[in-house]
Amino acid sequence: MTTLDDRPVTEPTVQRTRRYSKGQAFVNWVTSTDHKTIGYMYLITSFIFFGLAGLMALGIRAELAQPGLQFVSNEQYNQLFTMHGTIMLFLFATPLFVGFGNVIMPLQIGAPDVAFPRLNMLGFWLFLFGGIIAALGFFTPGGAAAFGWFAYTPLSTETFSPGVGGDLWLLGLSLGGLSTILGSVNFITTILTMRAPGMTMFRTSIFTWTIFITSVLVLIAFPILAAALLGLFLDRNFGSLIFDPANGGAILWQHLFWFFGHPEVYIIALPFFGIASEILPVFSRKPIFGYKGLVYATMAIAALSVAVWAHHMYVTGAVSLSFFALTTMLIAVPTGVKFFNWIGTMWRGSISFETPMLWTIGFLTTFLIGGLTGVMLAAPAIDFHVSDSYFVVAHFHYTVFGTVVFMMFAGFYFWWPKMTGRMLDEKLGKFHFWLLFIGFHTTFLVQHWLGAEGMPRRYSDYLASDGFTTLNVVSSVGAAILGISTLPWLYNVYKTWRFAPKVTSDDPWGWGMSLEWATSCPPPRYNFVRIPRIRSERPAFDLHHPELGDDPNTNGQLAGKTH
Amino acid sequence: MASSRASIVRRFSLILALPVLASCGMVADNEFTRVGFPEPATVEGPGIIELWQGFWIVAIAVGLLVIGLLAFASIKFRRRSEDEVPAQVRYNIPIEILYTVVPLIIVLALFGFTAREQEKLTALTDEYTHVVNVVGFRWSWAFNYMDENVYETGTPGVVPTLYLPVDEKVRFELTSPDVLHSFWIPSFLFKMDIVPGAINRFELTPDREGRFVGKCAELCGQDHARMLFNVEVVDRAEYNQYIASLRAKGQTGMIPPGILPKDETLTNAGANR
Repeated sequence: MTTLDDRPVTEPTVQRTRRYSKGQAFVNWVTSTDHKTIGYMYLITSFIFFGLAGLMALGIRAELAQPGLQFVSNEQYNQLFTMHGTIMLFLFATPLFVGFGNVIMPLQIGAPDVAFPRLNMLGFWLFLFGGIIAALGFFTPGGAAAFGWFAYTPLSTETFSPGVGGDLWLLGLSLGGLSTILGSVNFITTILTMRAPGMTMFRTSIFTWTIFITSVLVLIAFPILAAALLGLFLDRNFGSLIFDPANGGAILWQHLFWFFGHPEVYIIALPFFGIASEILPVFSRKPIFGYKGLVYATMAIAALSVAVWAHHMYVTGAVSLSFFALTTMLIAVPTGVKFFNWIGTMWRGSISFETPMLWTIGFLTTFLIGGLTGVMLAAPAIDFHVSDSYFVVAHFHYTVFGTVVFMMFAGFYFWWPKMTGRMLDEKLGKFHFWLLFIGFHTTFLVQHWLGAEGMPRRYSDYLASDGFTTLNVVSSVGAAILGISTLPWLYNVYKTWRFAPKVTSDDPWGWGMSLEWATSCPPPRYNFVRIPRIRSERPAFDLHHPELGDDPNTNGQLAGKTH
Repeated sequence: MASSRASIVRRFSLILALPVLASCGMVADNEFTRVGFPEPATVEGPGIIELWQGFWIVAIAVGLLVIGLLAFASIKFRRRSEDEVPAQVRYNIPIEILYTVVPLIIVLALFGFTAREQEKLTALTDEYTHVVNVVGFRWSWAFNYMDENVYETGTPGVVPTLYLPVDEKVRFELTSPDVLHSFWIPSFLFKMDIVPGAINRFELTPDREGRFVGKCAELCGQDHARMLFNVEVVDRAEYNQYIASLRAKGQTGMIPPGILPKDETLTNAGANR
């Protein structure tokens, strides 16, 4: 059981070390119900999927660099972008949220594990095998699914997309979706019932809040997806007519898909906003600014996100334009609140730019641009022209890549010592950041222009007379830089694993706020040898800096607190 | 406070002033001031461009403000010494209310502008002079000229051409026999999906003669990228000549429009118009 300790304990928690053989380590991992180990397996697996889908993206950019078909056929091209989108959304970004949630959230609320460890384990294996099943389409005679990641009917029906690739896609994603639902049930239960003594809801970290709210969104959105996927599977294999176009099935699919699909983009954004909200205070050496406002803004985003889905459908002529334009634009308000809270956290701080902070600043600038173009796309009169063009492709890469990938790396650099006991190399990390940042913006900034000029997305080819060639070359060069930027990262991981010294402190960054910084790096099996007293939303900070902290019993009001 | 209020006023006056400036010709008209949009070829086009420019002005203003604050904070408040401890400020309710309410006002204003414009773009009237039934199929197009009872159709290899008379309002009726497509003429700054099982309608008036490109913008399978067409906006005489040439080739009647809803029919104005 946990014990409450009155005295501030700042010496590092001693950790048992024992060496396992490779075979033992493997068996330990695949049979583990430890939330951290399952979390690591989620992070590693989703990163491998990220690499695979990234290679597909390089294939796409290679093909688009010049007019004409050089590398792939039209059909292969359709498979590439379909599986790129599918893997990035379902097998990378979504399980990445489950991975970070698993590793970090129980530590932040002072729990020894999650509420349902074996359900957690089942969730991981469902995701892994579901993902493999979906991707296996590439090895079938007809190839992988080629109907786009939103699988619009009737194109995705048996008539127009025969072959087992589409069925594998549907069933694989159904399993993956079930995994996400189970993970979310687990997160919600854990956060509601397993917080340490003193850890009230309004003392949990912002990251924990985002995991909680995201999980609620998952429970709203993913069952709808499951119903749609299985309904389409029935149509394809058993002759049902759920999505028969003669009865309005084409639009029905879009409603179901986007009722899932738009909450989905917030499902993969909110947890990464949460990571930003963890990192900014640590490197600004100030508490998060406007904690409650940030929580309410997160709730507002989640609430609005289930009422905006048809902005993907403005050009179908089948939806209420004004309603969905208004709700979509309103989402800019709580998102703006978050931005100003983050800036407020930095304001009058003492800011240093270690790698996690650098990645977070990269996220802020990148996501800002994506958010601003999002407001444009929310306007139907503008969207009529740019919908389904490269402008949209640029927009969602700025939002999704800007959030998920930038904050994934921020989270990796930030929590690497907590997860592995070793700090990643700062110099390599900064080089990695700048290479990726330059590569990303070179790839996607020009795509706004291409889309506005009239280049449709999902085209394997364009005409020389279209005048798109120059900007496509720029974009493809950027993609190459972006791809190369992975190499310093992988080298950094290797170098750190082999040569970096062990972290000896519980809080290697020195200004850790939330509870994970009050246990060893990495934490012991059940996370805490002792739990410090929790009297604010930054218990580790109160523990390590009692003279500055918020605990009324220990702080001496020394540092000009102004609240 | 006073300065932020002043900047809000300035920002709004910019949005309001832009369409005025543009219509007076005070803003040069080129690809850069149109922020990438093609030169419009319809009566409706300039309104869309103005909206697009207005959104960009707001976006750039907000973007520069936020980037500026970020850059300022990063430089001004960077850590200077190892024992520096900033004041542990946690919130400031008036500022939080300010940065909630101001964005709310901005997006409501933007919504007002776009709502007005979209009403114009989607309005259906009975003032059109032509009805063209556009049939999108895998992977080309057919154009049924409903008033003249002639048609033209193409293949991915032989791209069809849509003829439209200049300065006359056209009603487009979009239908599909197979999957979703999307009818997009970038120079018209407008697209609409073609949905099997539905008839999608819109109207616009081309006002500039010339040759334009058209594309399918909704993934429709293997040769999606080859589902192209051309548009010729011509004067009335040339249009009549073209229609006569179709008739001479025997392309009378219509290509079957595809899967239609059970309770709706195509507008067939016929000879009585």
